[in-house]
Amino acid sequence: MSAAPKGKAKKDKRVGIFVCHCGVNIAGVVDVEKVAQKMADYPGVSFSTNYVYMCSDPGQQMIIDTIKEKKLDSIIVAACSPTLHEKTFMEAAKLAGLNPYQIEIANIREQDSWVHHDKERATKKALRVVKGHVEKALQNESLEPIKVDVKKRALVIGGGISGLQAALDIAEHGYEVILVEKNPSIGGKMIQLSETFPTLDCSQCILTPKMVEVQRHPRIRLLTYHEVDAVSGFVGNFKVRIKKKPRYVDPDLCNLCGECEKVCPQIVPDEFNMGLSFRKAIYMPFPQAVPGTYTLDAEHCLGLSPVRCGKCKDVCDRKAIDYDMNETFFEEEVGAIVIATGYDLYSMQALGEYGGEKYDDVINGLEFERILSASGPTGGVVRRPSDGKIPKSVVFVQCCGSRDTEHHLPYCSKICCMYTAKHAMLYKHRVPDGQATVFYIDVRTGGKAFDEFYQRTIEEEKTLYIRGKVSKIFKEGEKLVVWGVDTLAGKKVEVEADLVVLAMAMVKADGVQDLLKKLKVATDTHGFLAEAHPKLRPVESLNAGFYLAGAAHGPKDIPEAVAQASAAAAKVGDLFAQEELLHEPTIVPVDDEKCSGCGICITMCPYGARSLDRERGVVVVNEILCEGCGACAAACPSGAAQQRNQTDDQIFAMVSAMLKD
Amino acid sequence: MRVKLKSGQAAKKFIERVEELSGENVYACYQCGRCSAGCPVASEMDLLPNQIIRLVQLGLQDEVVGSKTLFLCASCFTCQSRCPKGIDMARVMEAVRHLLDPKGKDAFGPAEVSPELAQELPQQVLVSIFRKFAK
Amino acid sequence: MKVHYYPGCTLKDKTKALDLSTREAMALLGIELVEPEGWTCCGAEYPLTEEKIGTLAAPIRVLRQVRDEGGDVVVTTCSFCYAVLKRANGAVRNDPLKRKRFNAYLRDDIKIDRWTKAKTTGFDEYKGEVEVLHLLEFLRDRVGFPVLKSKLGRDLSGLAVAPYYGCRLLRPKEELAMDEPDNPKIFEDFLTAIGCQAVDYPFKQECCGSYLSVSLPDAATEASYRVLRSAKMAGAAAVAVTCPLCFYNMDKRQDKIKEAYLDFPGIPVVFFTQVMAWALGVDKALLGLGEHAVPAEAVFQDIPAAEVRP
Repeated sequence: MSAAPKGKAKKDKRVGIFVCHCGVNIAGVVDVEKVAQKMADYPGVSFSTNYVYMCSDPGQQMIIDTIKEKKLDSIIVAACSPTLHEKTFMEAAKLAGLNPYQIEIANIREQDSWVHHDKERATKKALRVVKGHVEKALQNESLEPIKVDVKKRALVIGGGISGLQAALDIAEHGYEVILVEKNPSIGGKMIQLSETFPTLDCSQCILTPKMVEVQRHPRIRLLTYHEVDAVSGFVGNFKVRIKKKPRYVDPDLCNLCGECEKVCPQIVPDEFNMGLSFRKAIYMPFPQAVPGTYTLDAEHCLGLSPVRCGKCKDVCDRKAIDYDMNETFFEEEVGAIVIATGYDLYSMQALGEYGGEKYDDVINGLEFERILSASGPTGGVVRRPSDGKIPKSVVFVQCCGSRDTEHHLPYCSKICCMYTAKHAMLYKHRVPDGQATVFYIDVRTGGKAFDEFYQRTIEEEKTLYIRGKVSKIFKEGEKLVVWGVDTLAGKKVEVEADLVVLAMAMVKADGVQDLLKKLKVATDTHGFLAEAHPKLRPVESLNAGFYLAGAAHGPKDIPEAVAQASAAAAKVGDLFAQEELLHEPTIVPVDDEKCSGCGICITMCPYGARSLDRERGVVVVNEILCEGCGACAAACPSGAAQQRNQTDDQIFAMVSAMLKD
Repeated sequence: MRVKLKSGQAAKKFIERVEELSGENVYACYQCGRCSAGCPVASEMDLLPNQIIRLVQLGLQDEVVGSKTLFLCASCFTCQSRCPKGIDMARVMEAVRHLLDPKGKDAFGPAEVSPELAQELPQQVLVSIFRKFAK
Repeated sequence: MKVHYYPGCTLKDKTKALDLSTREAMALLGIELVEPEGWTCCGAEYPLTEEKIGTLAAPIRVLRQVRDEGGDVVVTTCSFCYAVLKRANGAVRNDPLKRKRFNAYLRDDIKIDRWTKAKTTGFDEYKGEVEVLHLLEFLRDRVGFPVLKSKLGRDLSGLAVAPYYGCRLLRPKEELAMDEPDNPKIFEDFLTAIGCQAVDYPFKQECCGSYLSVSLPDAATEASYRVLRSAKMAGAAAVAVTCPLCFYNMDKRQDKIKEAYLDFPGIPVVFFTQVMAWALGVDKALLGLGEHAVPAEAVFQDIPAAEVRP
């Protein structure tokens, strides 16, 4: 019946058992005194006791004192789940001079007293569990945490408000930051906005100082028109390969005279103005661009190799234009990476019932921002795209693509209620005799001073808020017709509009999944970055060394994005404050003698920690990347992968002890 | 006069029966009103489609009995195709009609059609309207 | 090519033009239409409750008959028939309980042999083996629009036609799945293939009023008016329909529409198969134009190519 445990059972080990009552949580079902009594006679146990609250100060002190007095070299704390207090008791063990990896937590609460009613059987079960842990403890080795160097330099990907804030905060801590932005200028989406809620601050006025600060900061290396090409390594020790895209213009020489732009024959829809106006192939995205330089967009240039036009170069008297620039790559080493890649808006093409993208005068929120903006295509005068007329009736439609579990996206995009109220307010400021109508299902105004702002839109600007989701928008002659309903009055309504603004859902940034695959960072089902814990760890990824900031993590407004960016910077600071990182040593090493190099474990590893050493024909493990999940150990056919302090022998010994009568 | 909402089994029975007959989860409706907004006949109705499903959610079948709305549905499925929660309002409408008012005062039967009109109408109109409204 | 064809009761009586033009067009395409023996009315309405589903026995019997005659596809032109047959077929395929019930209802059917008049019973369980296709789908997927294009006998490039989908070709999408309900293309592609200019207008899938033209005529008048007006404003010379009820509401009742909406000048309403037959070269006399309340001759003549007014 009893199988002798294989392997080295150090019977001369001195194990101490501490059974916790946890008040009545455990003691109410399990007879803890009996468990402590019975365990005193178990082979290998030198001491056994019980106490009302092991995690309390006196409880811990008792453990520390007993370890010293009785010269214990291994302890079992039979109590609640290790996820709660394992660290507590490991620290207590350390204070007593005992290696913290010699302690075991036997869960007799969540897995026993909290799920069973029969006291006798629950007590028997507790005994089995504790015995199992004793068998494991007899074979436990003392382990030392693995030390990792930390390179105190951060990479921030994305130069919008979140990326800029994170970069500034990390730099102010005293560390170097590399900021990579794929567009010719930093500023993200915020620089495209006209005014921001709830203060109606001019967006560019509050953002450009930060942009300039980043550009001038001695510890920030600003790399615009660059992209992250590849990342390898691990927390504290990343190697990043960065691609420098050819601008064909030397930013140091360009003096923004604008002569090149005047002679360029190519006309391109201006993406900064959401396609509502045009730019040239050689262009500056907007007047306050940082860095202040022109960029030649090779995709729309008539041809660079061979050179088909060459007019811009001819007129540049600073000789800043160089058609021979190429894509170049270089490597940098960093210790932490902050991902702040931002968002995009859901495509209007998906909403056929609103015209798809057929109607020029049905636009999204960012297009309306450009129309409102003083530096936009209409100079800040509200004109509609089709004929430039000033609209006297504007309809705003909320929840376009959001909160639609059936056809589009199930989540709420958070910012639309506020920016729609802002849009209505700004429209009324500019066209006081115009009519603003908002169709909504709910209005969500949770931030500070948000609800008051929204109420002003209704009470002072006399905006009409109609509760009902719009079913159809179509064009009839010059006007747009909106079919909606007022669920509160119980009436189907039809509104004629000159312009319709759709609050489209916020979605992941276009093309970001390619980057995230390269980084091997977890995302959620919608492509947003996945946080380590939704409540308690909102700015870190589960992938060590990666931090999240801004809308790349999920829909949020500017105050939240800034808060999150600063929090991510603080977490980076936590990392950099350590001289070296300590990594859990309960990893899975490779026994070279037993390893046949089959490689099954490599495919099992979710952390990419194992690789094949082709010369020696065995697998090697990167101890820093290994998180000790044990998948490889389970899959290894030869037993070459044995987890430290959780070997096959230990597990068999536990099972034998638990099943013994 | 306040409408007293029933609690417990009494209220649940009606909703459960509607859900059983229609195969739809009535609780999923968050009253956005899009069904009513797109319904081609809603302007003739006394209760809008979203109000019908709201009254079902509240368990207030007495408020729904006798509503003209139940006999105005053209089964065009515009509501179903646009509902963000994927609820087929046409099925809910039919379930409520069957439960409450199979021979209601607004039902439309052969007596309502004159022989001359019957001569003129395509067969499918007569078959479909009687199947729907003349139970 | 031979294919099973389900005309539906209305096509044999009140809208013979749809049946006639379909036959003429298919003949020119070399497709033989075979009606399933002893077919009955499909029932026109697909029951929307889980319990009162007995009426589906009829359409399922039709489908079983098609299968027993060796057909794996049945084609129909009438939108109502399409919706009922396809949804019934879907119910049999996807719902094991319904499949069991219907086969139980139909188990005791008596089959009378066409030639010998002998009676037999005992049918194989119908599991949804037949594919139900609307003629538009059949032409797109089984024949191919390019083939249709290659057999044209007339140039219709000057004819601007507004395709009217109505409700039953597209909704509910999960069960009918012919195209996107709010952004469909199949009818436009068909019209382009036969050489017309397909007119885009926002009311192409809005309801015409359906059977409410009998119980609530004003509502149906308004609904049909909105469709026709939108098509006219978009520059269409005619509206093409697939459904006899839409035809009734928009053609036969167009006089009522004009009475209620005095500014409406009127527009001819034709069946899509009539336009197709005309494009393929069928003689005008064989299109059934006599059934139209609103004269449609103007549509079926040699029109020089002209601009479509947006």
